[in-house]
Amino acid sequence: MAIRIGNLVWKELLQLARDWLLTAFLFILPLLQLILLARATGRGIKEEPVIVLDRDRSAVVRQLALRLDNREELAIREWVDSEEVLTDRLERGMARVGIIFPPGFAEDLAHPTRTATVQVIVDGSSDTAASIALSAVQTVFADYTRARLREVGISPDPLVDLRIVTYYNPAYDVRKFAIPAQVGFITYQITLVIASLGLARERELGTLEALIVAPLGRTEIVLGKAIPAFLIGMLNFLFLLAVALFVFHVPLRGSFLLLLALTVPFLLAEISWGVIISSVSRTQQQAILFVFMLALTDLTFSGYLVPVKNLSLVLQWVARLVPMYHYLTVIRAILLKGATLTDLWPHALALVLLASVITVIAVRRVSRRLE
Amino acid sequence: MSLRRFLAILRKEFRHIFRDLRLLFLVTVSPALLLFLLSHIFIMDVQQIELAVWDLDQSSLSRRYITFITSDGEFHIRGEVHSYAELDARMRAGQLDCVLVIPKGFARQMERGEPASVEAVVDGSDPIAAIQAVSSLSQRATAFTAPGSAAPFVPVLVEVHSQAWYNPALKSMVSMVPGLVAVVLCMPALALALALTREKEIGSLESLLATPVQGAEYLLGKLGAYLSCGLLGVLPVWLVAVLYFRVPFEGNFALYLLLSGLYFLAEMGFSIIIANFARNQQTAMLLVLILFFVPSFFVAGLVLPVDTHSLFSLLVAYALPATHFIAISRGVFLKGVGFPQLQTPILLLLSMGVVGILGGLLLFRKRMEY
Repeated sequence: MAIRIGNLVWKELLQLARDWLLTAFLFILPLLQLILLARATGRGIKEEPVIVLDRDRSAVVRQLALRLDNREELAIREWVDSEEVLTDRLERGMARVGIIFPPGFAEDLAHPTRTATVQVIVDGSSDTAASIALSAVQTVFADYTRARLREVGISPDPLVDLRIVTYYNPAYDVRKFAIPAQVGFITYQITLVIASLGLARERELGTLEALIVAPLGRTEIVLGKAIPAFLIGMLNFLFLLAVALFVFHVPLRGSFLLLLALTVPFLLAEISWGVIISSVSRTQQQAILFVFMLALTDLTFSGYLVPVKNLSLVLQWVARLVPMYHYLTVIRAILLKGATLTDLWPHALALVLLASVITVIAVRRVSRRLE
Repeated sequence: MSLRRFLAILRKEFRHIFRDLRLLFLVTVSPALLLFLLSHIFIMDVQQIELAVWDLDQSSLSRRYITFITSDGEFHIRGEVHSYAELDARMRAGQLDCVLVIPKGFARQMERGEPASVEAVVDGSDPIAAIQAVSSLSQRATAFTAPGSAAPFVPVLVEVHSQAWYNPALKSMVSMVPGLVAVVLCMPALALALALTREKEIGSLESLLATPVQGAEYLLGKLGAYLSCGLLGVLPVWLVAVLYFRVPFEGNFALYLLLSGLYFLAEMGFSIIIANFARNQQTAMLLVLILFFVPSFFVAGLVLPVDTHSLFSLLVAYALPATHFIAISRGVFLKGVGFPQLQTPILLLLSMGVVGILGGLLLFRKRMEY
């Protein structure tokens, strides 16, 4: 039996090698994708364009504008003359923040009893950028107030001094957070695509019947499809991890062996999903579109973009059924935090359980289909 | 190029799509379904921060401080920790986002009128969540006053009147749903890439080439069928956004439909080129996934704005049709703007579409000559 499976695996690998374009894609595209995403992932919100409508034309306004421009999050893009131009820039998306200094701003500021006002407009159509830019603007004005108060001898400091200590990623580098997840996701994607197309392709081309009449058991056929997918997934994973560590300097603070060991059930679960898809689709086109839907659902439930704890309770339970959620948690924790099996055992257990259940379903489904 | 043959191909393609219920579903209904699914998950408005406390002071004032910080429900109290080792272990396991360490002598110092210091340890591995936790903590920490002593008198020098246009409550759903439309509307383009490679793979392309049908008629016929089915799918997407998520729609629906068509054109231009190089559906699928779909989540300005800082990210973002359609979609939905304000993304999409389709035709003709 081992020899027959070995032959089948060899056939699959030969078939892959013959299609050089596909083979190249299987190894080069994931790498390209990682590099592209890693380089293109913004490092956070920086230099959001600000436009200023200065109706006061005073030195104070210019001083404040300099303070705004000095903030990392903001950059003064333009000084405009009218509210119409300000509206136009916001509508075109050329500015995220518009600040209007009313006439008499400097006078009010210098006056002992009057309060100066300033109008700040943010473009809320991109909410994250809007709220970060807005809070940066508010900080600038608060800092300015504090500096002015100190000059006249009033201590504006709060009662409690809060010192922030940041663990694991003190520079708040978004890439350190995104790259480990990208390694996981790209590996997932390759494995799932290969596994899901295997049987569908044979069926569409009519070669599945030849395989069935050959002296091969059903398990052997399935294994013959699953093993190459596993090998390719694993190779890709190692490759991408190396790039993440050595090119992008993502730290590996935990155990490599633990990460490797937990990658096995993850790949197994995804291959089984692929086999299930493969067995329900009649053509490759259908299989691919199903993969697409599954990948989208997995992506959203995995905590890849949005932390799972922000979901509603029901959706949090759904997320626990998604292998990728556990795997992304594991890979981030091992790389960035140096987590050990004692820290991660619930996720490890979930991965193993999910992999076994999905594999059993896949094997049963396929044996029925093949008859 | 004959209109009759073009229409014949168009009819054949429609028949293909409508005969295969699963394909019909995936081209026309699945974008709406995906939008429904994805948007639910993108609502980041309610953020819970998991907080634990290490209270070394154990005074009534320190307890009051903790209650003050956690009273409004944004912080979720996850018990206490009693050592740095325990703190680290629970953070590694992902149970805590931050820990407030209140030092011994906190109450005594405050009673003497000296500023006391409190340490906040934050898990920085998710920077976006960490920044949020830090800003929430700082806001509350500044506002804290000890009982008995009056709040320090801080006169307000500048009053900041802030308002958020187009999304006054700064709800993430309002800004995410129109952006996600761009992501889900790439399904028809994917289906087109697969349909083109499929004919090659099954061998039916050769029999088509033996008929008087020319390359342009074949490609445009396919494009026309998938484009119109895609447009059919825009309506359910729009209905989900407006009726289910109640995202305000300030613009003109006809304009929105027209611009969606333009977006399909740009994406399908890429699909035709990809299909030219891919020998089978597997390759086409991988190319579409890797070149369009995944980047449109991260570099197209969906969650974080396009990074104008590095030339590389800027180039990648501009080359993606999704970047421009996200800007268009948000503009029409939320800002109610039209051609004059959106001319840059519109022209870019149009040129991508034209270049893609002409390039695809040229490549196709070259291949037929073999």
